[in-house]
Amino acid sequence: MNKLTGNVLGGLCAVVGAFALAGIALNRDEPVNSMWLVVASVCVYLTGYRFYASWIAAKVMTLNDERATPAERLRNGHDYEPTNKWIVFGHHFAAIAGPGPLVGPTLAAQFGYLPGTLWIIAGCVLGGAIQDFVVLFCSVRRDGKSLGQMAREEIGKVGGMTALITVLLIMIILLAVVALVVVNALNHSPWGTFTIAATMPIAIFMGLYLRYFRPGRVLEVSLIGFLMILGSIFAGEWVANSPTWAPVFTISAIGLAWSVIAYGFAASALPVWLLLAPRDYLSTFVKLGVVLLLAIGILVVQPQMQMPALSRFIDGTGPVFAGSVFPFCFITIACGAISGFHSLISSGTTPKMIAKESHILPVGYGSMLLEGFVGIMAMIAACVLEPGVYFAINSPAGVVGATAEAAVSTITGWGFPVTADTMAQLAKSVGEESLFYRTGGAPSLALGMAHIFSKGGGGEALLGFWYHFAIMFEALFILTVIDAGTRVGRFMLQDLLGQIYAPLGRTSWMPSVIGSSAAIVLSWGYFLIQGVRDPLGGINSLWPLFGIANQLLAIIALCVCTTVLVKMHRARYIWITLLPMCCLITVTFTAALQKIFSPSPRIGFLAAAENSTNPTIVFNNQLDAALCGLFLVLVTTILVDSGRQWIGILRGSRAANSMETPFVASQLRAEEV
Amino acid sequence: MLGRVWRNVLAIIRELSDENAYARHLAHHGCNHSPQEYRRFQAEHFGRKYKRARCC
Repeated sequence: MNKLTGNVLGGLCAVVGAFALAGIALNRDEPVNSMWLVVASVCVYLTGYRFYASWIAAKVMTLNDERATPAERLRNGHDYEPTNKWIVFGHHFAAIAGPGPLVGPTLAAQFGYLPGTLWIIAGCVLGGAIQDFVVLFCSVRRDGKSLGQMAREEIGKVGGMTALITVLLIMIILLAVVALVVVNALNHSPWGTFTIAATMPIAIFMGLYLRYFRPGRVLEVSLIGFLMILGSIFAGEWVANSPTWAPVFTISAIGLAWSVIAYGFAASALPVWLLLAPRDYLSTFVKLGVVLLLAIGILVVQPQMQMPALSRFIDGTGPVFAGSVFPFCFITIACGAISGFHSLISSGTTPKMIAKESHILPVGYGSMLLEGFVGIMAMIAACVLEPGVYFAINSPAGVVGATAEAAVSTITGWGFPVTADTMAQLAKSVGEESLFYRTGGAPSLALGMAHIFSKGGGGEALLGFWYHFAIMFEALFILTVIDAGTRVGRFMLQDLLGQIYAPLGRTSWMPSVIGSSAAIVLSWGYFLIQGVRDPLGGINSLWPLFGIANQLLAIIALCVCTTVLVKMHRARYIWITLLPMCCLITVTFTAALQKIFSPSPRIGFLAAAENSTNPTIVFNNQLDAALCGLFLVLVTTILVDSGRQWIGILRGSRAANSMETPFVASQLRAEEV
Repeated sequence: MLGRVWRNVLAIIRELSDENAYARHLAHHGCNHSPQEYRRFQAEHFGRKYKRARCC
C-alpha cells in the first residue's frame, strides 16, 4: 500500500469513526445497535494506528530496521530469538489479554454504555497503546531489560526498588480480586463448580500425557483436554440435577474461597509441568478461541444495546460499586484502556523476540488496540442484557435487599423494571438456583455472551450450555492467572528475602519455597476472605483498589518512558507520554484520596471503618486505606525522583546519561523474519 | 493471501504451544526429539516462562 492510498483510507476511517462516535454519543431516544460501537472503535483504532502511532514511530522513535535488535545481537536459542512479527503479535496479545478487559467494562456498564466506551476508545489510542508501544521501544533499545531494571538505571535506585515493591503489592490485590470474581460466579452453583473442578484432573491428565505418553504433542493434548472440558460442561448439568451429587458441589462462598486458596498454594508448590503448564496451554487456546467466537457472534447477531447511554448512577450512588463516573469509571475499566501490567510484558519476553525495530509498532501499539476491542465486546455483552436483569445480578444484598422481592422492588424503583418471575425463569434456563447477588461481573458477562451465542446458534435451548461455557472460559483463565501469579509472587518475595538471608532466595530450597508460597497465598487469601465477608459484596472495595494500583503502575511506566524521551533529547515530544501520565495522575490520585477520605461509608475506607462496630470490618477498612496510601507514597516517590531528573537535564545541570545500547548494523535479511 | 494468513495463524499456534521453542531448543543443543529431551526442555523452558509476571 503506498502512502497516498494509506492516507486516503486512514482519512476515510477517521470520517466514518467520527460519524459512528457521534451516533452513539448523541442518540438518546432509541436503543443503539451494538454495531455502532464496533464501527466507532475499529475506525478510531485504525486512524490512531495510521496517523498517530506511525508518526511517533517515524519522528519520535525514529525506528530503524538497519539497527540490530537484542533478539539478533544476543540470540541464544532461548529467550533472545528474532521472530516473525505476526508470531510476536500473537504471543504478545495472548500474554496481555487477561480477565481485566472483560470484567472492568462489565462493572463500568452501571454508568451506562457511553462513559466506558468513550474511555476504552480514547484511553486506548492515547494512553494504553502508547504506554505499551513506548515501553517496548525502550526495552528493545536496552537489550530487553525489564521495567524495574529500566526504572533503576534511568531514574535511580529508589525508583527501581519502588517499582518492585509496587508490582508485588499489585499482584496480591490482583490475585484476591480475580479469585473473588470466580468465587462469586461459582457460589451455590453445582454445575459451574463441577465444571471448574473437573479442569484440575483434566489438566493433570494433560501434564502426564505430555510428560510420559506423548511428549511434545501439545496441540494434540490441548484438543483432547478441550473436548474433555466440553464433556464436563454437559456432565455438570447432570450433576446439578442429581440429588446425590448436587449437594456435594453446592458450596458456599466461604468454602469456595478456601478451596481457591488451597488450590493456589498447591499449584504454586507442585511441579509446573504437572498442573500449571498444561492448564496454561488450555487456557490460552480457549481464551483466544472465545474472544474470536464473541467477535463473530456480535457481527452475526448485531444485538441491540438495552442499557441506556448514561444511567442515573453517574452520580456515584451505583449498586455495583460506589463512586461517581469521574474518577471511578476510569479506575474500573483499567486494563481495557490502559494497564500498568502490560508494561511488564512489554519489557519481558516480547522485546527479546522483536526481529526488526519496525515490528515494535504493530506488536506494541497494535496488540493493545486489539485488547481495547476485547473491552468493547465485553461492554456490548454486558449492555445487551435488560438493565433490570444486569442490576439484579450485580447488586449485593446489602444494597438492594436480602430477598428477591426486596431486590426487584428496589431495582424497579430505580427505573429499571425487573420481576422475580423473570429472574427465576432466567436462572432456570441457565441451570442455576438463583441469579441474584452474583456480584463480580463474571455471571452477567457470561449471561450476555450466552444470549449472543444462543442467538447465533441453538436458541434458548442452549442458553444453559453457553452460560456455563462462558463461566468455564472466565474461570479457567482466571485460575491460570491465580496459579501463575502466585508462583511469580513467590519468586519476587524470594528475591526480596534473599537480600536479607541468602538461602531464602534459593528457589530450590523447600523451606523457602513452602514458606514464601504460603506467605503469598495467605496475603491474597486474606483480602479474598475479606471480600467474601463484605456485606457490600467485596467488589465494591477490592476492584477500585486493584484499578488504582494498576493505573499507578501505568504512571510508573509512563514516567520511565518520559525520562527516556528526555534523555534522548526528544523533550519537545514528551507530551506523548506526559499527557496520559498527567491524566492518570489526576484520575488515580483523586480516586485513591476519595477511597481513603470520602465521608461516604460506601466509598471511603476510613468512613466505613468509623461506621462499623465489627472489629474485623474496622481493621479491614483501615488496612485497605493504609494500602491505598502506601501506593500513593510509592508512586509519588518515583514522580519526584523523575521530576528532579527531567528538570536537571532540561536546565543542563545534569548529564543525560541514557542506557541505550550503541548502534550495531543488522545482518538479518528480510526473508529470515 | 488466505494461504499466508493461515500459515501465520498456524505459526502463532505453534508458538503458543511452545512447539517453536522446543524446535529452537533441539537446534540449539544439536539433538533429536526424544522423551528425555522433551523433559529436559520442559525443565529449562518452564523455569524461565513461569518466573514472569502474568497480565491482568
